[in-house]
Amino acid sequence: MTYELTIEPLGETIAIEDGQTILDACLRNGIYLPYQCNHGLCSTCKLSVIDGEVEHGDASPFALMDYEREEGRALACCATAQSDLTIEADVEVDPDALHLQVQDVVGTIVRFEKLTPDILGVWLEIPGDGLPFQAGQYVNVDIPGCSEPRSFSIASSPANPKVIELHVRKVPGGVGTEWIHKNAALGLELRVTGPLGRFFVRASSKDPIIFLAGGSGLSSPKSMTLDLLDREWSGPITLIHGVRTAEDLYFADDFRQLAIKHNNFRYIPVLSQAAADGLWDGTTGFVHEAAEAIFEGSFKGHKAYLCGPPPMIDACIRSLMKGRLFEKDIFTETFSTKSDGENLAKSPLFKKI
Amino acid sequence: MNAETKIERKAKKLGLKERYGHLTRGLGWETSYQPMDKVFPFASYEGIKIHDWDAFEDPFRLTMDAYWKYQAEKERKLYAVIDSFAQNNGQMKITDARYVNALKIFLTGVSPLEYMAHRGYAHVGRHFVGAGPRVACQMQAIDELRHAQTQMHTISHYNKYFDGLHDPRHMFDRVWYLSVPKSFFEDAMTAGPFEFLTAISFSFEYVLTNLLFVPFMSGAAYNGDMATVTFGFSAQSDESRHMTLGLEIIKFMLEQDADNVPIVQRWIDKWFWRGYRLLSIVAMMMDYMLPKRVMSWAEAWGIYFEEAGGALFEDLSRYGITTPKYADVASKEKDRLTHEVWSTFYNYTRAAAFHTWIPNDDELAWLSEKYPETFDQLYRPRYEHWRSLQQKGERFYNNSLPQLCNVCQIPMVFTEPDDPTKLCLRSTEFEGEKYHFCSDGCKDIFEFEPQKYVQSWLPVHQIFQGNCGGATMPEVLDWYGIKNGSDNLDYEGSPDQTIWNDWTKSAQRAAG
Repeated sequence: MTYELTIEPLGETIAIEDGQTILDACLRNGIYLPYQCNHGLCSTCKLSVIDGEVEHGDASPFALMDYEREEGRALACCATAQSDLTIEADVEVDPDALHLQVQDVVGTIVRFEKLTPDILGVWLEIPGDGLPFQAGQYVNVDIPGCSEPRSFSIASSPANPKVIELHVRKVPGGVGTEWIHKNAALGLELRVTGPLGRFFVRASSKDPIIFLAGGSGLSSPKSMTLDLLDREWSGPITLIHGVRTAEDLYFADDFRQLAIKHNNFRYIPVLSQAAADGLWDGTTGFVHEAAEAIFEGSFKGHKAYLCGPPPMIDACIRSLMKGRLFEKDIFTETFSTKSDGENLAKSPLFKKI
Repeated sequence: MNAETKIERKAKKLGLKERYGHLTRGLGWETSYQPMDKVFPFASYEGIKIHDWDAFEDPFRLTMDAYWKYQAEKERKLYAVIDSFAQNNGQMKITDARYVNALKIFLTGVSPLEYMAHRGYAHVGRHFVGAGPRVACQMQAIDELRHAQTQMHTISHYNKYFDGLHDPRHMFDRVWYLSVPKSFFEDAMTAGPFEFLTAISFSFEYVLTNLLFVPFMSGAAYNGDMATVTFGFSAQSDESRHMTLGLEIIKFMLEQDADNVPIVQRWIDKWFWRGYRLLSIVAMMMDYMLPKRVMSWAEAWGIYFEEAGGALFEDLSRYGITTPKYADVASKEKDRLTHEVWSTFYNYTRAAAFHTWIPNDDELAWLSEKYPETFDQLYRPRYEHWRSLQQKGERFYNNSLPQLCNVCQIPMVFTEPDDPTKLCLRSTEFEGEKYHFCSDGCKDIFEFEPQKYVQSWLPVHQIFQGNCGGATMPEVLDWYGIKNGSDNLDYEGSPDQTIWNDWTKSAQRAAG
């Protein structure tokens, strides 16, 4: 049995399975609720049930008192749904979140193109009104032969929800991405679920924007940049894209053109393994090193959006924090592959980075 | 069926944080006829620079109304359990009366710290300029008072039957080994408000808390002490708020100004080491005093500091904070710490307000298994030697007074980080006097603030100076409030053992 779980004050609705805890359902849907012990003792995850019935599970009688149960309080880490639910949790409303509905659609490949030796661009046409999304979000794609879907960020502008552009990096030994590289063909249909994720531009803030992209992590920043420029967002925007060699760069000319056209946009491609042939006269090194050099080590007052593989994200967070930019102004989308496996143990020091 | 009840979404609700913001708006104020730094004289002398007090996230977000309601129900539940424990003679159902000695350490060494925490939070709460940390500290001050009180009420039941529990406050201020926790907390309370929170909220409540509470509360559960377990649950539901305050204050300081980073690092180094030394007695309790053991100290250190703390310091490294200095020494000591400390209490059993014993054969086997690298090589022979002396009627007592470390106040019984067979002795000169330390960690702390630690109230010095009732053992014990022959010495032959054996025999008779 699946119920609907609505989380206030976000106003988001997600599915919750029979026996699944509210906390688990939220975390799996990208909604962070504060929690600590995860087994009903510490009461950090206490919330209010506004509508519906819950089963309190193993909530400790000291962490959730009788009078609180009567008042409709529950512990997210123990409570399971007995009906559709509306809860109010201690989460912050993000004025920039669009909370678009997640859809299951079938997309048809209308164009595909090798962008670099290991990245395939795939354009999917979505029937009807398309798949409205917020720039930065991703979709899950079902791939034949894979039990779990693979996630890809949408690289195109949200101005056209009828065709979405995905960048598929061939992960060595990766069953899913290799299948797409091998089988991509015009007319091929793929089941797509989305839009997903909470990686989007906090455009209501006027703080200058820094996009830090690594490899195929250019996808979200590309969509976000196009969207901002379309909407004539007037603050300074810096996009730093790091790749290994010159042949790994893609859409570089498009970004150079945009930088010429828009005074507030600059584009810095960075090569970590530039060939010794002297042809590359641009920046070399890693993304975080380029960022430190460009901003002279000081990031205070900016908003930074990071998209790429885990080591690049971590290195960039360290540089940003060294330059006095902290969690509240740093937004990340980590591209991990199946082989990255379990994340290293985390402390509760940071919630989202 | 649900379709018709579906309503259009109303205007967005305020988040809890925003609502709380409105509720607490205006709690802080700018002074008008006195300058701010006169009203808040302690807010800046530590060197911590705060530019925006409102950036502090109040982790409590509780109103007094909700707080009273919540705590009142918790207390009702706890006291119901304490009552039923008393009515059902719960003290007879513990594993073994030796377990009560863990409670004696808790009541004399930990509960008074709860009371000091109450005073400390009330004090520093007054001195923060921002309403966020001020409210957080004041709420925690009330929590700590409740903890001290409920602990005393929970454990007081044992005082009806067992020795050594009759006056923890008196003992805390006088008994030699209790000067270790007392001086630890006085060090924190005489620091500025930011150092206090780093010491207690971060280092103690966050980094080291599991090493204090798991041994005592799981120890209680394993050994049939349901009253203390219930107290543990009651307190644990407050601890999450306390731990969060520790994390928030550290983040707040580190994010407010880059100049704060080296100051915070020094405090983390200092309070890690002080907290770790303070835990020595808890470590000993885990390995030696629980008839039914939970886990070894070495295992607990591995799980709660090396793993959990490792993840925390990995995250903190993003701020430029490094793993506390001498954490490596603590790890080197984990296979010997408890044996060195229990041996010390065995030596000085006459002056302890709890009982000691030589572990029995099963317990020695457990220690060998848990400490394969050290126990049989270094400590088992010592215990077997003492046991044979005892069997010959020549029980070994150490009749001299030990030299104490001038910072942690523990006798200088610890060994060199890289040689567990050699005593670790450090010293430094200050204004023509020589001061002694158990470790580089304690020596560093002294050398940074010598003026503070030359004032240490060192129990052995105080005895020699004639400030502890007299020059003889009976006089000092009398001054300590330790009753010779019942509160102290070995468990074997103690009144505790007699009453326990009587209960066990009558239970056997009743069972026929």
